[in-house]
Amino acid sequence: MATGNPLYANPKLCKHLADYKLRHALSCYKSLQNCLKTTPNGRTSIYRSETKITRCCSCNGYQGRFLLCLICSSISCSSHALLHAQSENGHDVAVDIERSELYCCLCSDQVYDPDFDKVVVSKIMMDMPNNTHVDDGIRRSSKRRKLNSLMDLDLKKSKHLVLMRDRREKSCYPLGLRGLNNLGSTCFMNSVLQALLYAPPFRNYFLSGRHDRETCRKRSSDRLCLACNIDVIFSAVYSGDRTPYSPAQFLYSWWQHSANLASYEQQDAHEFFISVLDGIHEREGNGRIPTKDNGDCQCIAHRVFSGMLRSDVTCMTCGFTSTTYDPCLDISLNMNTNNLSSIDVANKSVRPNENSTRCTLSACLDLFTRPEKLGSDQKLYCQNCKEKRDSFKQMSVRRLPLVLSLHIKRFEHSAVRRMSRKIDWHLQFPFSLDMTSYLSSSIVRSRFGNRIFTFESNEADTSPEFEIFAVITHSGMLESGHYVTYLRLRNQWYKCDDAWITEVDEAIVRASQCYMIFYVQKMLYYKANEDWSCTPMSSRKDPFFPIAGCC
Amino acid sequence: MRNSVNRPPTPDAAEDLGKEPMFQEIINIKLIESGEKERLMELLRERLIECGWKDEMKALCRAFIKKKGRNDVTVDDLVRVITPKGRASIPDYIKAELLQRIRAYLVQAAV
Repeated sequence: MATGNPLYANPKLCKHLADYKLRHALSCYKSLQNCLKTTPNGRTSIYRSETKITRCCSCNGYQGRFLLCLICSSISCSSHALLHAQSENGHDVAVDIERSELYCCLCSDQVYDPDFDKVVVSKIMMDMPNNTHVDDGIRRSSKRRKLNSLMDLDLKKSKHLVLMRDRREKSCYPLGLRGLNNLGSTCFMNSVLQALLYAPPFRNYFLSGRHDRETCRKRSSDRLCLACNIDVIFSAVYSGDRTPYSPAQFLYSWWQHSANLASYEQQDAHEFFISVLDGIHEREGNGRIPTKDNGDCQCIAHRVFSGMLRSDVTCMTCGFTSTTYDPCLDISLNMNTNNLSSIDVANKSVRPNENSTRCTLSACLDLFTRPEKLGSDQKLYCQNCKEKRDSFKQMSVRRLPLVLSLHIKRFEHSAVRRMSRKIDWHLQFPFSLDMTSYLSSSIVRSRFGNRIFTFESNEADTSPEFEIFAVITHSGMLESGHYVTYLRLRNQWYKCDDAWITEVDEAIVRASQCYMIFYVQKMLYYKANEDWSCTPMSSRKDPFFPIAGCC
Repeated sequence: MRNSVNRPPTPDAAEDLGKEPMFQEIINIKLIESGEKERLMELLRERLIECGWKDEMKALCRAFIKKKGRNDVTVDDLVRVITPKGRASIPDYIKAELLQRIRAYLVQAAV
């Protein structure tokens, strides 16, 4: 894994462990393998007979962490491990009985050895009933997805468009920032459009003229093509004209596409986002554009936004896991409602009050990938046990898209109580996001306990590091709220509130109530920022003038 | 001074090794032998994850490591730092549930 954390692959062995390995090779690891006891949820411990109470050889204590010396098999508690190593020469390395993890008594610290973990993991896999998904990770040769697909979205072809800038433009705002008029509760549409207008690979595709309106119209008899309408918007917004634009044509097309949402009422921005991408796919995909060998749709909506999620359902009795993969255009996250703080300890209930809530995006992502125990009314059929069993489910991200869209579920609809409400808590989100720990390879690895073991995966081709470029915020109530988009261009944040675009400080963005957050792969973000110059080559050094629509 | 309370003499620290197992120990032995301790540990793990305690501890560890520097921290340091906070922040309902389970077990084991 080229982009993986190198510590995972090559941990530094302390000198005591290195000595031990020189002297004893791997024979002791192998003999330990026979004493390992695995459980369906992945905890591996050293097997001790049921009746024997673990006691420290020095203090006879029975509480705490116990370490088994790899040389003489004597057990010490964590406070006396050092004593044992000092009294017996060469008895440096021990293994934690409950967790099967290596510990160096002289360094008084946990140590990591890939060879040891390989032994533990192969024992776990031997004990697992028919787990095909694990073999997939190890046996499959990584098909390198050609990075050429990114080159298609290269901006070099569209550079010539930059030079044809409108002379009317006096402000030093970056190219393309243009307000969108509200056509009657259409802030949900405007906010999503602004985010799409600035998604680097999406923008590059349209600005380099990849969607040809002429050939598209010739090819189809009816006029409806959302991608054509979007192309019109791109041309209008990047024309250099700063007066607010009315995307009426697009709205009309979208109404025709999603007839059930056609009204002047406020709609949900996330629903709109998904329906627009679907609309583009319908026209561009579906055999229109040939799919690649692995069956991925090549329409622009999917190439930019589509990722893949992995869902593992594990039987709690035998550990058999069944895995399914689902493509996704975005990830919807529940807000982490279980936050404890020391203030709340006195409370009997666990629900946090508004003041002590510390909701963060990483907490929501943790919640998304946490193993969820399915209720006893949701017992699933286990193929190994041949009957319905309690199980738990765990989600992870198998393949990251170029643009990662995260949707925060703030609108709670309760069918039981027949009411809907909005969750107003503030969510803290980072500007740089590292998705490594939510990838399937990391999640699967963590099931084996604390191991250094790399599963080969196809994810090496897409970097897990992302940079934020757009945030859609919602303010107000469920029925009557307002959507606003914040865009980040060359480290300056801009607020796009329908027709009004203003520069804002990043503190305002951090304090806002985010609803949808858009991240793009770091490499694409920096490329986009360096290619598009922001300041016009003006000879006079005056500050920007406000132009109608840009205040 | 007359002893108003009948109390056995305070045991010396030096004599501890040879003493009879204390009540707590006996319970612990019984729990382990019957396998009940394993079940209780699983239950406790589940509850602590559900209520967010584990995430809290993770956050504390991260904060500590950030402060000290990644290469200067040992596992023992982390355990030492978070143990008092961890013990203090366990919700009461979890303690109550475990106590209830242990009591129920002892009652049926004594029979």
